[in-house]
Amino acid sequence: MTTQEAPPIARTAPHKRRLKAPGNRNFSKPVRFIMLAALVLFSGFPLYWMLNTALSQDSELYGQAQGWWPHWERLADFGDVIGSVPIFKWLTNSMVIAGGTTLLSLIFAVLAGYALSRFKFHGKGAAGFLLFATQMLPEALLVVPIYALFASLGLLNGMGGLILANVAFTMPVSVWIIKGAIDAIPYEIEEAAAVDGCPRVTILSLVLTPLILPSIAAAAVINFFDGWNEFLLAKTFIAERDLWPASVGLASFVGQYLTSLNSVMAAALLFTLPALIFFLLVQRRIVSGLTAGSVKG
Amino acid sequence: MAKLSLRNISKRFGDTRVIHDFSADVDNGEFLVLLGASGSGKSTLLRIIAGLTDASAGDVIFDNLRVNRQSPRERDVAFVFQSYALYPHLTVRENIAFPLALDRFKAWHHIPGISTFARRIFGSSKDVVKQVADVSSMLELDEYANRKPGGLSGGQRQRVALARALIRNPSMFLLDEPLSNLDAKLRAELRGEIVRLHRLTGKTFIYVTHDQVEAMTMATQIVILHNGIVQQHATPQEIYERPANTYVARFIGSPPMNLMNATVTEGLPTVGGLRLPAPEGVRIGNGAVTLGLRPEHLSLSGDTSEDGLPATVRRIEDLGADTLIGVQPGQDLGLKLWELNQDELIWIRQAGQTRLMVGDPCTVKLQDRLASYFDSETGLNLAPAKEISAAGMLSSLG
Repeated sequence: MTTQEAPPIARTAPHKRRLKAPGNRNFSKPVRFIMLAALVLFSGFPLYWMLNTALSQDSELYGQAQGWWPHWERLADFGDVIGSVPIFKWLTNSMVIAGGTTLLSLIFAVLAGYALSRFKFHGKGAAGFLLFATQMLPEALLVVPIYALFASLGLLNGMGGLILANVAFTMPVSVWIIKGAIDAIPYEIEEAAAVDGCPRVTILSLVLTPLILPSIAAAAVINFFDGWNEFLLAKTFIAERDLWPASVGLASFVGQYLTSLNSVMAAALLFTLPALIFFLLVQRRIVSGLTAGSVKG
Repeated sequence: MAKLSLRNISKRFGDTRVIHDFSADVDNGEFLVLLGASGSGKSTLLRIIAGLTDASAGDVIFDNLRVNRQSPRERDVAFVFQSYALYPHLTVRENIAFPLALDRFKAWHHIPGISTFARRIFGSSKDVVKQVADVSSMLELDEYANRKPGGLSGGQRQRVALARALIRNPSMFLLDEPLSNLDAKLRAELRGEIVRLHRLTGKTFIYVTHDQVEAMTMATQIVILHNGIVQQHATPQEIYERPANTYVARFIGSPPMNLMNATVTEGLPTVGGLRLPAPEGVRIGNGAVTLGLRPEHLSLSGDTSEDGLPATVRRIEDLGADTLIGVQPGQDLGLKLWELNQDELIWIRQAGQTRLMVGDPCTVKLQDRLASYFDSETGLNLAPAKEISAAGMLSSLG
């Protein structure tokens, strides 16, 4: 008589067992580590080189080959390099402009996205299409008419006007991102909220907005960076040096005959930091699967 | 406490008429089931009662007050959705507390941003917490109170949806196929739960389903809808025993009522050459009629010499406690089975097991006293309808 061996008993619950993703089957852990390290190195090197350049001397940059290692001892001179210009003022302006653009654009986008997603009205298709009209034309082409318009409205040389112009360019993409997110939410949830006593505005703020937060976060990142990096409109509309955003300020380092590369890089590093921090803050919100379990399944 | 009256409700979607001139009265405390196949208009009707959809014509009246223009909230109804429709970002406790928190909102609390804080503050107030705890324990949800809907099974989610409806103490509960996403065991369990809640609250329940078992076991009244037209509005027993027409006869019962053609001469029906005594309480004229008999109103004998319809056994389905036997009537009888009799067989339900085998000849015996007679043209039951109840009266039939 032969005895049959019982199959081994699993010691972990099925949901706690580590499942191999199909694509990872061929790579061992060290190989994956090396690949990821290469990716980090590849994408991080430009940042490192900015730092290295910022800490190098002019003679190094224009004469002999630039060294691989930063001159950390020059960190003390950093302040002198950027102290000559109101960089913090410019960064604050940038923050106001990018923040204002993001906030205004998201408010409009949530409202417009909701309307496009849930309401039936004449000209809905045309409204959705026209939203993209600004995206179809190059920004440079629109600068002149907007300038004329803003001049007549007294919106030049101020951050409010710049924010408005930025919103016109960034909002359409946000509207479509948010419309897509609302489309994916079952309408029954809204009806349940209506039965529970929510007017539409409360349905939007209490029920839908938390559910589409990942998409709002994604739209916020796009809007913020658009506002932060925007140059053409700012350069055209704002003449006063103290009102410049950092993007325009940074460009002012580039002289006609002489450009101090290390100063530009030092300022650029500072320019990068707030955007980086904003992204790290928002990135945690960009998660999917928040709606899982609301309806059947 | 609300008495619901529906007056000549019609609903069109473009050129399609979904509900035709529906009228009914539902007294307080009734358990009315709207029963029908997909697309019969039953869910639309429920949504019209809730105020989630506007009727194209007609009036919805709660306690003599026309509520056509009132929002779902103003109508003070609770709605349980087939897909549960829980708020996925809130915990079970917050989901249940949601309507109570909203009750306490003043106009300015609805301002975006403020509403989030207001919901949290009101949702955690002492009396709300207590009510949520009471309802949770009633529906055995205590241990899941801090979970989000994503971490619950289908049955638990539907319980949360029921709790959310229950906590508001509404005047009426509207349930739209709440059990159809659940497996058979859970469905039976929650069916009992809903009936218990109905007894406990004493409120009006209006329940939409396509499942006749749910309808028969839960309802105090059933409305059967087909293509937006009411086929019958009666008690479950009346619907089973005296279906208003051949559609209802075929829709209710599993297997459905056997329908066969019969000829009446001098007031006596003949079916497949078998002469039956004159039916009691039904006036039938000479000519063709349709005879309906439930599977349990027929019996089988292996003795072919007995009086009855000669037939051959074609299918045997042993259900344990009883057996369903499908027989094919003899070809020479000229017996036409009514259109869609399942597999063109006459079905008989017999207690226990049968000794007959597939292919055996047999005799079908009819308990003619229990037969229903339908007009062969219109399909309407020829027996007069009973009054369905003191309160619920069907005012319009199609």
